[in-house]
Amino acid sequence: MLLDSLVARRLVVLTGKGGVGKSVVGAALALAARARRKRVLLVEVATPLEASRRLGGPRSRGRETEALPGLFTLNLDPQAVMDEYVRHVLKLQLVARRVLASPIYHRFFAAAPGLKELMVLGKIMVLEEAHRRLSREPLWDLIVVDAPATGHGLAYLKVPLAASLAVPVGPIGHNARRILAMLRDPARTALVVVATPEEMAVVEAIELYRAAGSEVGIEPQAVVLNACHERRFSDADEAQVLRLASSGAAGELATGVPLDAAVRAARRQIRRRKLTRFYRDRLRRSVDTPLVSLPFLFRETLGLSELRILADALEAA
Amino acid sequence: MASRRSPAATLGRALAEKRVLVTCGSGGVGKTTTAAALALRAARSGRRVLACTIDPSRRLATSLGKGQLSGRPRAIDIKGLSPARGGALFAMVLDVKGTFDALVARHTQDAAARDRILRNRFYKHISEALAGSHEYMAMEKLLELAEDERFDLVVLDTPPTRHALDFLEAPDRLLAFLDVGILRFFLRPYFVAGRVTVKVATRTGAALAKILDRFIGLQFLQELSEFFLAFEGMYDGFRKRAAEVHALLRAQSTGFVLVASPEPQALEEALFFRRRLLEKRMSFVAFLVNRIHSDPARARAARHAGRAVVSPELAALLTTTLREQQVLARVERRAVARLEVDTRERPLLVPELEHDVHDLRGLAAFSELVFGSAPERARAAGVTP
Repeated sequence: MLLDSLVARRLVVLTGKGGVGKSVVGAALALAARARRKRVLLVEVATPLEASRRLGGPRSRGRETEALPGLFTLNLDPQAVMDEYVRHVLKLQLVARRVLASPIYHRFFAAAPGLKELMVLGKIMVLEEAHRRLSREPLWDLIVVDAPATGHGLAYLKVPLAASLAVPVGPIGHNARRILAMLRDPARTALVVVATPEEMAVVEAIELYRAAGSEVGIEPQAVVLNACHERRFSDADEAQVLRLASSGAAGELATGVPLDAAVRAARRQIRRRKLTRFYRDRLRRSVDTPLVSLPFLFRETLGLSELRILADALEAA
Repeated sequence: MASRRSPAATLGRALAEKRVLVTCGSGGVGKTTTAAALALRAARSGRRVLACTIDPSRRLATSLGKGQLSGRPRAIDIKGLSPARGGALFAMVLDVKGTFDALVARHTQDAAARDRILRNRFYKHISEALAGSHEYMAMEKLLELAEDERFDLVVLDTPPTRHALDFLEAPDRLLAFLDVGILRFFLRPYFVAGRVTVKVATRTGAALAKILDRFIGLQFLQELSEFFLAFEGMYDGFRKRAAEVHALLRAQSTGFVLVASPEPQALEEALFFRRRLLEKRMSFVAFLVNRIHSDPARARAARHAGRAVVSPELAALLTTTLREQQVLARVERRAVARLEVDTRERPLLVPELEHDVHDLRGLAAFSELVFGSAPERARAAGVTP
């Protein structure tokens, strides 16, 4: 259901507070779309730990790189995107090389606030609009963007709006408006807010959800609640766990499985699943888009098989 | 170098002696809570402490309890926590635009020059809306607060930066951006001539102007020129200021606390930040790793003879639950061990709390987890030892 609506667009942008697992959710979403035979591109921005590692693919090195058949990853380096743009503008190689080597270029373009963000979003727009030369089919069925957690909420998505206001005329304003139109068009772009069942993450998700609509004019299409603990014990079992905890019961459940430790673990599980329910209810009250829960995974590593579990959960949602 | 002192003692000493403590780390690791808890601890021990956050989502306000925080320091009532004599806690949220405006006002010659900048459209947008301004202004505000005699200690909670450099290098980048001396040579013709022609001395300059024109357009270039020319008189002031920021960050009286969670990405970030701190000769105080999950079986009671009486179904569920959390504890232990090997520093490990911290008592409990004795730590975590 949710996946139907997301893959109907060409662009899915994930946003949320840092540490909520956006990159994992992005990789899982890309896998789920690939399972539907979509040609998928997963875009990250200057991340030190690329999703391709989890997918078992090679590092992207700034290029669309096939991690699995039909699933490509791309780790964008804003500076490289900017250099590419310069080469594009200045057709002459020699002049372009001069400019790229010039300290003035680096000082200005590295420091100009918002320019890198705009460049990265512009690159994503180019990818979104790319077509095959002969068939005129779109190059990508779905592009999943793991937007950087800048910590300033919507800072990244605000850049095109700010730029279009600051520079209403000229190419920069024109392109900023095109990017903004793409992001605001619900037929092209779906904004997905990611959270975890914790106070700060949920507060920020709700803020992001509201501000995306009211301040940037982009309506979020879904909220993903990551790392959920679901009910495991029946009411009667939970009551018994609490009784065992307070009576300080000892003994073993099996050889090498001490009861007191298991009860401690169970109490934690119960506490977390209650928190999950509490925050899920709070989110439900505050947003009116579909809300999808993904399970917390207790695994040694977070690789392809773990991502498949999450992809299946997205497909089932 | 490995310090002989325990990490808690090192951090405790920093809280007692430093003038500025900066908490850094990636998002979602409990940085704001840590900053607030450290500030509260120093205040309870008798210092006058200001906790300042740059976080626009106002998390510090949440963790310090009720009431809105603003761009001005507000006293927080800590009487209920029996502070030592003279101890006081203040808190504020950085107002990015207000700080930028104040900076302009301080460095402009007269009201006309100031208004010209404040009205400039380019200025209006870069001063509040765009990413990066937060880091610039955090540094500026820090300088002002560090000179404020009302406070013995300023604890600064920084924005969650994936790229730690953004923060440490903010003064340099602001300076580079405003360096009119360099920019003028290809921007000025637009402004001065007011015509479409570009006359620049070098071919590189001409090419740069061409990119700017293609990318930005003529009218914007004129505004940009105005912006830079308006800043021209302020440049020396800025440079002086940036040099002061540098000196402050390097001072012995300033220290950095790196906060992480036990996830690989957050630890990676903390490691990276530490390397940069050392390169820049800034004073590293401690690593603090939040939300550690301990192995539930580690603190087990001595007697566990005999089979426990629970149904086989419940026994199976309990066993699975225990195994899961042991996996989690093992993964985290391994990640932290790597940090220790890489840095030869022992991080302060803060166990996951039973309840979210959103009031002063929660912050006090949090600081017991960092500094307290073993039983105090267990009590603070809500775990019965």
